[in-house]
Amino acid sequence: MKRSYFSAPYAVWMVVFTIFPIVFVGLYAITTRRADGNDLYTGLANIGNIFGNEGTYMKVLWRSLSLALQCTAICLLLGYPCAYFLASKDFAKHKTLYVLILLPMWMNFLLRTYASMGLLERNGVINSIVTALGFKRLELIGTQGAVLYGMVYNYLPFMILPIHTVLKKMDQRVIEAAQDLGANPVRVFYKVTLPLSIPGIISGITMVFMPSVTTFAISGLLGSGNFMLIGDVIETQFMSANNWNFGSALSLFMTVLILISIGLLNRMDKSKTGNGGGKW
Amino acid sequence: MVEDTRLIELKGISKSFGTTQVLKNIDLYIRRKEFVTLLGPSGCGKTTMLRIIGGFETQDEGKLIFDGKDLSGVPPYKRRVNTVFQKYALFTHMNVYDNVAFGLKLKKPEELLSGVSNPTRKQVKEEINRRVTRMLKLVKMDAYAKRSVDSLSGGQQQRIAIARALVNEPEVLLLDEPLGALDLKLRREMQLELKTMQQQLGITFIYVTHDQEEALTMSDTIVVMNGGEIQQIGDGKSIYDEPKNAFVANFIGDSNILDAVMVQDYEVFAAGRSFECVDEGFAPNEPVDMVVRPEDIMIVGEDVGMLPGEVKSVLFKGVHYEMFVEAAGFNWKVHSTSMYPVGSRVGLSVVPSNIHIMHKMKEQTAPAAEESK
Repeated sequence: MKRSYFSAPYAVWMVVFTIFPIVFVGLYAITTRRADGNDLYTGLANIGNIFGNEGTYMKVLWRSLSLALQCTAICLLLGYPCAYFLASKDFAKHKTLYVLILLPMWMNFLLRTYASMGLLERNGVINSIVTALGFKRLELIGTQGAVLYGMVYNYLPFMILPIHTVLKKMDQRVIEAAQDLGANPVRVFYKVTLPLSIPGIISGITMVFMPSVTTFAISGLLGSGNFMLIGDVIETQFMSANNWNFGSALSLFMTVLILISIGLLNRMDKSKTGNGGGKW
Repeated sequence: MVEDTRLIELKGISKSFGTTQVLKNIDLYIRRKEFVTLLGPSGCGKTTMLRIIGGFETQDEGKLIFDGKDLSGVPPYKRRVNTVFQKYALFTHMNVYDNVAFGLKLKKPEELLSGVSNPTRKQVKEEINRRVTRMLKLVKMDAYAKRSVDSLSGGQQQRIAIARALVNEPEVLLLDEPLGALDLKLRREMQLELKTMQQQLGITFIYVTHDQEEALTMSDTIVVMNGGEIQQIGDGKSIYDEPKNAFVANFIGDSNILDAVMVQDYEVFAAGRSFECVDEGFAPNEPVDMVVRPEDIMIVGEDVGMLPGEVKSVLFKGVHYEMFVEAAGFNWKVHSTSMYPVGSRVGLSVVPSNIHIMHKMKEQTAPAAEESK
């Protein structure tokens, strides 16, 4: 028996739950449901609507991209040093810290977001402390900052882990070689460690940016619905507006955007380093 | 040629990793322009010693003196020492040229162009280019400057690693088993090339290897190490001809090592009979090791030899035959250019000056020495 038969269950799974849905999304996107219940081919009209409606959707899209970029940047700035210290010799023995970083990932993200709500609410934990100390109550929930916080909190481990893996696997002799050739610790980092960890950074960016650009629920819960993101819009089209066709068009549009950005990131990865090893 | 000034001195260096002591009170000096080889089996502490000189490990006790100054606590990037690492440790994110230029680009412009005041960026770039190109020519890799290091063969990567270190004109080059990954033929070629480079450039080389042939081929001085201790220091010939103990005798070249008793000066008793020898100064009836090199044993007629015996096995080794001859209860390893078939009765003979007498080692640190018995 050929080994490839072993992949049959997965192939069936993929056809049913990945290929078919994509085909349907594509079909919905290029049709419009008429009042009589029949679908009518309308070409790119749905896609065109994304740009119409006085730019409402473009504004949401722009906000989503901008928040996702901010989230990715913050995750990178927080995550890299964290991964660096986790991978260093001094921390190698302390598994606790590593587990603490992984721990939130083992819980459903909705649970974590609800927990964040409890933290940020008008009468939440933070505000109780603030008012108990005699300060004015802070407006936390319902701000863009709260949404950004929620995203960073949820996606930070996805930045830390791939970078940590690359740094951990890095040949210590290469670092020593750089020191040996006269590089002080700062130069060793900029000239050797950082360039060699780019595959991990690219992986991290991919794994944070992709989900955060299409994120929903976080914006609804922590932003109190004041900050609709493209993921929320798509959810609304399917769940409440019942306009699957436009929802599909938006999904398709996002998918293409994401594919383009993955392509760009991969190109960066290849031009910078010979081999990508940042997946984990 | 080797100068008579001490460039590096190790004074009472000890180092432990956890509970294992890898270096025990090492005293050693290395002269300017000397080619020193640290030779020993794996785990003998030779690489740790090299890493202490390079600054990658710190000794627990003792002092490391470099050119008269104590180097303890000086980080690697401030030492006038460069290293060729065991697995090359090239920068895979750079091409060959940038790998070699790495150290030069870190130098201050005034260091690169000592005669020029306020050197321009262009002058610096040209100087770096000049030096890198010259070094790549020296290691015969000038045609590969723009290639990525991943695309090179092991031998080529080795050359780049050497060029990357040498281009900085270090006072000392440390080499950690640099030829270990190469095939035999390439290794022999590189041995000669390294020796030539060392003589041309007049740089002190400290070379770590477990390959005794490599050590004999290249070194001015060989430091034989075992179990974190120096066993013997000397040039190749003196170490080969006059090994200090059974470990050295067995590690450098082949040896027949027999338990013996020094009856009196110039007379040793082993294998059931007395042998005349040239050693003196042992206590009467002191138990000793008697070492005879396989090539020093002559095969003669059964009735004229010192020991009658029987050939047990024959191996053709190219230049000579390696035979095991059982005589007086001992399996003698004998090298000879003439072949005696298995089963033939022969006599063994050895001249007094080829019998080496050694004090018994304090502790049995030479498991390898046991094998031939």
